[in-house]
Amino acid sequence: MTHGSGVRRTIGVEGISRVEGEGSLRVEVRDGTVTDVALDIFEPPRYFEALLVGRHFTEAPDITARICGICPVAYQMSACAAMEDACGVAVDRRVQSLRRLLYCGEWIQSHALHIYLLHAPDFLGCADAVELAERDRGAVERGLDIKRTGNLVMSTVGGRAVHPVNVKVGGFYRAPDRDAVAALREPLARARDDALATVTWVSGFDFPDVVGDYRFVALRDPGRYPIEVGRPASSEGLDLSPAEFADLAVEEHVEHSTALHARLAGRDPYLTGPLARFALNAGVLPPVAFEAAAAAGLGQGCSNPFQSILVRSVELVFACDEALALVEAYEPPDPPATEVMPRPGVGTGVTEAPRGLLLHQYEIDADGTIVKARIMPPTSQNQLTIEADLRRVVERGLDLDDADLQWRCEQTVRNHDPCISCAAHFLDVSVVTT
Amino acid sequence: MMGPPARVVVAGLGSEFRRDDGAGPLVAERAVTRAGRGTVIGPLADPLDLLGEWDDADLAVVVDAVHSGRVPGTLTTVELVDGPDGELPGGHRGSSSTHGIGLAGVLRLARAVDRAPRRVVVVGIEGDDFGQGTGLSPAVQAAVPAAVSCVVDLIEGGAPCA
Repeated sequence: MTHGSGVRRTIGVEGISRVEGEGSLRVEVRDGTVTDVALDIFEPPRYFEALLVGRHFTEAPDITARICGICPVAYQMSACAAMEDACGVAVDRRVQSLRRLLYCGEWIQSHALHIYLLHAPDFLGCADAVELAERDRGAVERGLDIKRTGNLVMSTVGGRAVHPVNVKVGGFYRAPDRDAVAALREPLARARDDALATVTWVSGFDFPDVVGDYRFVALRDPGRYPIEVGRPASSEGLDLSPAEFADLAVEEHVEHSTALHARLAGRDPYLTGPLARFALNAGVLPPVAFEAAAAAGLGQGCSNPFQSILVRSVELVFACDEALALVEAYEPPDPPATEVMPRPGVGTGVTEAPRGLLLHQYEIDADGTIVKARIMPPTSQNQLTIEADLRRVVERGLDLDDADLQWRCEQTVRNHDPCISCAAHFLDVSVVTT
Repeated sequence: MMGPPARVVVAGLGSEFRRDDGAGPLVAERAVTRAGRGTVIGPLADPLDLLGEWDDADLAVVVDAVHSGRVPGTLTTVELVDGPDGELPGGHRGSSSTHGIGLAGVLRLARAVDRAPRRVVVVGIEGDDFGQGTGLSPAVQAAVPAAVSCVVDLIEGGAPCA
């Protein structure tokens, strides 16, 4: 230890923030041992759950889309799935395909953003993406090109790239015409090539040799890599309906955090997101993505959290390839939405947001008024596991100075791409030593 | 007097569910409607979403609620130009964010890959209440018409208003 008894180490962060003070990490060290790690991430869903009560069931997709600026489609898709479950409606196959295409757009833009602008600088010794652009302009341009293609898919299908407006319970307000969707073919083919180059680029990074002891939870969708539909499954053999999973994933309030922490059966922390999806579904990746994973040295699974960037790159190849296949097979749904009539009951929807499993559960009355809402985002599900990762990192890095320890902690958090950006733009770290 | 810029984008940063943080998107939308030209971007939760949306614009106006200790409702316009040290105002290089980088960082990034707008002007509206909920505080609500006029002037080729 480099710090004496009773000394408080506070590592301040001068983040550029509009809404401050909502992401923090506090570490306690006693006699050279980490005794407590408390990651506090502000979570808007708690507020939105209350806001939704009393609103009409058809409003849920647009209201919840505003929870996250990076993954609005995920919120729309889980909300639609839950409401359609509550109302006993199955949507048209063509609507399902169009939803999957829209969701691919979100995966593409979100993964490209995280890989190139937020995570890669960690591995290349760059302070941020600006420095990376100065050193390797071609790489950043490639990332921005991929992101732009994701935005293009979202604006073509969803009406606009940020907060799509074309989604409704039952389907879409309007189906894009064939020509508009066909115009996505060339950009997506280029993006798939760029995504393959991304896997090659990222596989050359130096990864710390760390293996996490993870309990993975992800959707499974027979024969397909899961995105907008599937059954929750775990690396320990659970195979559940969305409603069964909602019952099993118990959220608890912890004193240090405004967020709820989820555990399976009230007991076990778990991890959702790319590592979990890949561990449970690598075998159903399309050949181009599967072969890219194999060439990058990934087996059927990966438990090194620092290699999540590599798995995310493989998923980027998958999302581009899948979007391309959906574009080739596109048939405009007619009508663009199934009519959904409310009935009293409870509905559950689970989909795979870019950063992990997102669950919505609603109770509605006969008029379609929302009586109860529950939203369980990936970040609250992953929070306990991220804390465990941080504990390991801090234990190994107690001899580091403040700046280096802070950097290591932030990198550890970034491995799991938590959705802090909804409300907070910085992570304030303090280490208390006694 | 310069003529109006050819391609204008107006971005609204912020969330309508954080009270005064919703001022940016509201003003951006109203200004473009009133001016009858320009493209609205947003509401944006993260300045990184400007990448790909504002590329190669002649003018990008970014409207955002700010918190600087001034009287709520006060308007501030800042043109993001390089200072004597080559640095943009409003941001240091390193960022500890787990997700986003600030507006100045995003502009530097866009410039590094030659995809930046020619001019970027930030219109800031001093906020009062950034708590959870919808609706602007009275002071910010009262400032909205002036903020809209300020953005419309910029769209039409005028000088920054404050």
